[in-house]
Amino acid sequence: MTSESSFLPIIALLPFLGALIPGVMIRAGRTATATFTAVPTVLALVMLGVLAPGVLNGTVYTFSIPWLPQLGLEAAFFLDGLGLMFACMILGVGLLITLYARYYLSGEDPVGQFYTYLLLFQGAMLGIVISDNILLLLIFWELTSLSSFLLIGYWKHLPEGRQGARMALTVTGAGGLAMIGGMLILGNIAGSYNLTDILAAGDLIKASDWYTPAVILILLGAFTKSAQFPFHFWLPHAMAAPTPVSAYLHSATMVKAGVFLMARMWPALSGTELWFYLVATTGLVTMVIAAVIALFKDDLKGLLAFSTVSHLGLLTMLLGFGTEAAAIAAVFHILNHLTFKAALFMTAGIIDHEAHTRDIKRLGGLAKLMPITAVIGIVAALSMAGIPLFNGFLSKELMLEEASHTNWWENPWIVPVLATVGALFSVAYSLRFIFHVFGGPVRDDYPSKPHDPPMGMWLSPAFLCIFVVLIGVAPFLAEPVVNMAASAVTGHTTHAHLKIWHGLTPALYMSIIAVAGGAVLLLLHRPLDAAWIKAGPFYAKSAFDAVISGCVSLSRVISDNLHNGAISRYLAIFTAATVTAGYMAYLGGGIAPQTREMLPIAPVFAVGWVLLVCATGVVVFQHHMRYRALVVLGVIGLMVSAGFVFLSAPDLALTQISVETVTIMLLLLALHFLPKTTPVEKDTPRRLLDGAVALAAGVGVASLAYAFMTRDLDSISFYHLANSYKEGGGTNVVNVILVDFRGYDTYGEIIVLGIAGLVIFALMEALLSGPAGARLRNSGYNFDRSHDRHPLMMVVSTRVMMPIALMVGVYIFLRGHNQPGGGFVAGLVFSIALLMQYMASGFAWTMRRQQFEYHAMIGWGVVIAGLTGAGAWLSGTPFLTSAFGYVHIPPIEEFELATAALFDLGVFLCVLGAVMLMLYSLSRMARHAGETVNLEPLDYDPSRPAKMVEKGKA
Amino acid sequence: MISADLNIILPEILLSVFAMAALVGAVYTGKDKVAPALLWATAALFLALAFWIGVTGEGTQVAFNGMFVNDGFARFAKVVILVSAAAVLLMSEGYMARRGLLRFEYPLLVTLAVVGMMMMVSAGDLMALYMGLELQSLSLYVVASLRRDSAKSTEAGLKYFVLGALSSGLLLYGASLTYGYAGTTLFSGIIQTATEGSMPVGLLIGLVMLISGLAFKVSAVPFHMWTPDVYEGSPTPVTAFFATAPKVAAMALFARVMFDAFGNATADWGQVIALLSVLSMFLGSIAAIGQRDIKRLMAYSSIAHMGYALMGLAAGTELGVQAMLIYMAIYVTMNVGTFAFILSMERDGQPVTDIESLGMYSTKEPGKALAMLVLLFSLAGVPPLVGFFGKFYVLRAAYEGGLAWLAVAGVVASVIGAFYYLRIVFYMYFGEDREDALDGGKSPVLWGFLMVSAVIMVVGVVNLFGIEGAAQAAAATLVN
Repeated sequence: MTSESSFLPIIALLPFLGALIPGVMIRAGRTATATFTAVPTVLALVMLGVLAPGVLNGTVYTFSIPWLPQLGLEAAFFLDGLGLMFACMILGVGLLITLYARYYLSGEDPVGQFYTYLLLFQGAMLGIVISDNILLLLIFWELTSLSSFLLIGYWKHLPEGRQGARMALTVTGAGGLAMIGGMLILGNIAGSYNLTDILAAGDLIKASDWYTPAVILILLGAFTKSAQFPFHFWLPHAMAAPTPVSAYLHSATMVKAGVFLMARMWPALSGTELWFYLVATTGLVTMVIAAVIALFKDDLKGLLAFSTVSHLGLLTMLLGFGTEAAAIAAVFHILNHLTFKAALFMTAGIIDHEAHTRDIKRLGGLAKLMPITAVIGIVAALSMAGIPLFNGFLSKELMLEEASHTNWWENPWIVPVLATVGALFSVAYSLRFIFHVFGGPVRDDYPSKPHDPPMGMWLSPAFLCIFVVLIGVAPFLAEPVVNMAASAVTGHTTHAHLKIWHGLTPALYMSIIAVAGGAVLLLLHRPLDAAWIKAGPFYAKSAFDAVISGCVSLSRVISDNLHNGAISRYLAIFTAATVTAGYMAYLGGGIAPQTREMLPIAPVFAVGWVLLVCATGVVVFQHHMRYRALVVLGVIGLMVSAGFVFLSAPDLALTQISVETVTIMLLLLALHFLPKTTPVEKDTPRRLLDGAVALAAGVGVASLAYAFMTRDLDSISFYHLANSYKEGGGTNVVNVILVDFRGYDTYGEIIVLGIAGLVIFALMEALLSGPAGARLRNSGYNFDRSHDRHPLMMVVSTRVMMPIALMVGVYIFLRGHNQPGGGFVAGLVFSIALLMQYMASGFAWTMRRQQFEYHAMIGWGVVIAGLTGAGAWLSGTPFLTSAFGYVHIPPIEEFELATAALFDLGVFLCVLGAVMLMLYSLSRMARHAGETVNLEPLDYDPSRPAKMVEKGKA
Repeated sequence: MISADLNIILPEILLSVFAMAALVGAVYTGKDKVAPALLWATAALFLALAFWIGVTGEGTQVAFNGMFVNDGFARFAKVVILVSAAAVLLMSEGYMARRGLLRFEYPLLVTLAVVGMMMMVSAGDLMALYMGLELQSLSLYVVASLRRDSAKSTEAGLKYFVLGALSSGLLLYGASLTYGYAGTTLFSGIIQTATEGSMPVGLLIGLVMLISGLAFKVSAVPFHMWTPDVYEGSPTPVTAFFATAPKVAAMALFARVMFDAFGNATADWGQVIALLSVLSMFLGSIAAIGQRDIKRLMAYSSIAHMGYALMGLAAGTELGVQAMLIYMAIYVTMNVGTFAFILSMERDGQPVTDIESLGMYSTKEPGKALAMLVLLFSLAGVPPLVGFFGKFYVLRAAYEGGLAWLAVAGVVASVIGAFYYLRIVFYMYFGEDREDALDGGKSPVLWGFLMVSAVIMVVGVVNLFGIEGAAQAAAATLVN
């Protein structure tokens, strides 16, 4: 790193710092703003000038400071021949554009904004060409997309500007994103994100498996930026931008970024078949197609835009050839194209500015009206046509020379012929530019009478034209620059010899054919143009729009079908995905061989199983009839409980049976207030599909269960079996787990249960006082009812049952610690006993005899359980550690007392309170719905006829 | 012993106590009248805790026999969660107040959700995991249906709940299978059984079910179905909340489970997550293209972004986790700004979410439009904005983790995804000039968040605010 190297970051930063100036200066007027905008550019140019001699001698200046080193990002800059050439082009043309724009833009335009964007863009562009780190390069790359978006969209009021900006942004932005991937791969293969390292690792990269995706992704970035076929369409549509922008972005800078990148990556990527066929072919196709279209464009800028695309194609093709001579030709043509195309754009801008139209068909004869402009335009256009003594001729000769001996798919004719065709059309549209704009008679129907603009406006293009002629006449002057850049591209010193006369080479013949053919084409332009319009040429813009709207509708189809709002579909997808995932895991895991024999199936169990399956099937088909479904659900619940018994889980069975009973009873009461049937929601195919998904999930779960039950497993059960008596003092493992091993969980659960009861109560409260309550009151509630709500038989039997049921509850509670049972089941049994009373004798009647408040019961349950747990602290053990001991009170036999029983009491109270509170909530609802309250145990009075009772109520 | 444990979970305890005390306090005092004060107090508490957690706390501390872990990873996630939750709360005040939604429960539900999230990222045990997850989810279900008089909001809450319940069930199923095979619910115990290549199939299926449940929470395809509907249906501030803190928490939890419990079987889950990632990126990007509603669009965008974050996870390396953390932090920052903008989209005081209504917004509000432009470019991952760094980190992690195909797929998806972000930019700068234009939006709070977030996207380029190092340290504690 030499001391001059530290200029590099300053050069890169200058435009960005300078971008602040116009915003500050704008009040000082256009001239002052333009002057100050030029300052950073000039400064940067001076610094480059200091470095230039060194670079010409082959020195490569580098400068780097770390910046997010983990990411591989480094603020690394380097300046070699290629970078210097591009940097000078960018800054030089930038300066000319600054001057030109000062006169082109009117006082009403927000000039300050324009210059700010211009400098931003210039800085980004400059950054691209001097970055040594590919991530840094990426950053500058997308920065050009961003700032060019702002520049292109500068004239927002023009409707075509909108489309143009959108396309430019979409295409180039997306291309840049694709490039991220390419850069990532390159950096990883080379082991460094520094360009110098990557360029040195060319062989490694080409040998890598990931070479192809890397090339494709990087080329996507380059092609979109440089408007190569099939991404060429955005460039002409970006022409709605003010002409200084077009001249800058689309001749010298932005579109050249893609070409620059290909040149930059040339040592690392080129030379393979893939590269040749991708790059050279794309370039060739672009060159020809764009040249043809350019001939038929009536918009001056449109013509120039397509010509630019065509020339970019030419450059791409040259870089794709992968030979040293082609690289020299490419570098030389980059330089030449810059000079004549920028001049041409500016000329077009002048004409637009003066004549107020860019339509070639409305122009003509301008040579007499604006002679200076005409001279500039004609010189530049002749160079574009490739006429000798202008610089365009020289590089085109080199190109044709290269094309003349390039085989494409072993065919020696395709490339030269197509290249000649491209050159031919190029001549044709260049001549058209000259003759149809400047030639011909003076017209009297210009929208505005044109005349030469002030000097400030034509000075810039005139300056460029000097180069056009100078290089064209004395090509050796450009040799050092071309050699310098070409050496940097190819990686070794090149010796270009640029001269006008190469002898009678194939290239010269091709050139002659092109010029002659071009002239003929121009003569035939009128009929050809008519035919072109008649044929209704294919517009890339409409293709773009069609693709976009196609994508949008495709996306809508996907999202509308996938996310149609139906939760059943969501559930189906969810389930299907899980089943698939589980199946994949099953396949991936490899399962141990079966170690357990199947047990013989006793006929009774087989019957039970068939019953279970039938009942489930009935629910599927009959669930619309709610009561019927409920009945069948009861059957299923009972069969499941029986299943638990069969599988030696009496605890579970007991719990299941009591839960089953309670829930069925509560459901039965709740169904009262709901419609009797559920609407049929879907058509048959959908239901079949849903059925298939459900079946798959069911089969999955079943096979999982089957697989586990037929194998010996290292189960945690053994730990509990071994320890539940030792540690928890109980032989009923399930109960010990609940109250001891996982006492915390149970404690949490009873709280949750209590909360659930309270929430149902609270919700009902809110519900009944709101509109739903009103609806309920007005519901009529007038369907047929049984004449005796509280049948005698039932009342009597439940009362007889009550003490027995309570005794069973107590019994279950007490034995819980060692035998199946426990607080939870006991709570449920008590609830059943009470529920029966409510059902048989009516709510109010039972309520009066109810001594405990349910809310309090829940609260006490939690408190007791909590205190029991906290009691463990007294003995210095953690919360919820249980203790147990044996007590002997004389008349009774010795029995065991465990603190866990106290805990169980808490559970019991909580369960009971919660269940009863739910019932209470239901009953409140019933009364809102107009249910009468009976205070007598029996509301059926045998002494009166049934009908009258009903009438009395109504 | 227990006091040491309690000391470790002090932040969580403080928040829970605050939530319960404030709930009771508000019920007995001014109810909804105290809501604004409560909201600010909550946000202040969040920020204070974030500061506290961020500054203090060295090394790894374990509480309750390993059920709760306080390590660098958890602290990183907690700071992001707390800060983003505070930001969203502050942003939501104006919106909620004007629509009569500023109930005192709102900040408290958010607090409870945040407590749940903090539990999640610190979980060292399947039980703790589930507890945290459910605390978070249940609070979110309620918040989603906060606007009770709107059918859409209620529907959103219900859908979210039903699907969430299913996913919780799956998670539990997976957890019990895991427990059954590993013999413990502690992650530190599971990891000893779950080793590469010799995983019992039951454990493997348990792992898959766990992943399914977690994938729901991060809304990864194909478990993402709830996202668009919930994002669209919920009140916008709630959507903003959904898009930020819970995503970080779920992602961190995901990483926590995968590395702490199944860290020896990276290959087994790496592929599954890679698949989730690629599906999410593509579906998110493609489906977003057709959206007209900006909230729905953000839903798909979040799906795609989760895909990218998962990419880091799928790599199964320390760099991957670091990338994921950086990605999430950046993503959250971008989303805060974007939602600040969406919240300010109003016409005659009514919220508007139609994208086309942004036509020519730049002429009326150049500053806001520019800030939004920066955010959208950042969301698209366009260099040099900060969003690019996040994306590049995960891409690199995936590539170096041997998932080059995933990285390439991610790039392709980002190209597709750029389209819809740029479409919004297009409307703002070049759309149709509309007669029913949006109001200016006067809220200084929203304006502030939008601007700060946009400035971060630009200035963060300098050194990402040093988040790299913090994320690396966090990742190092998780992957070892």
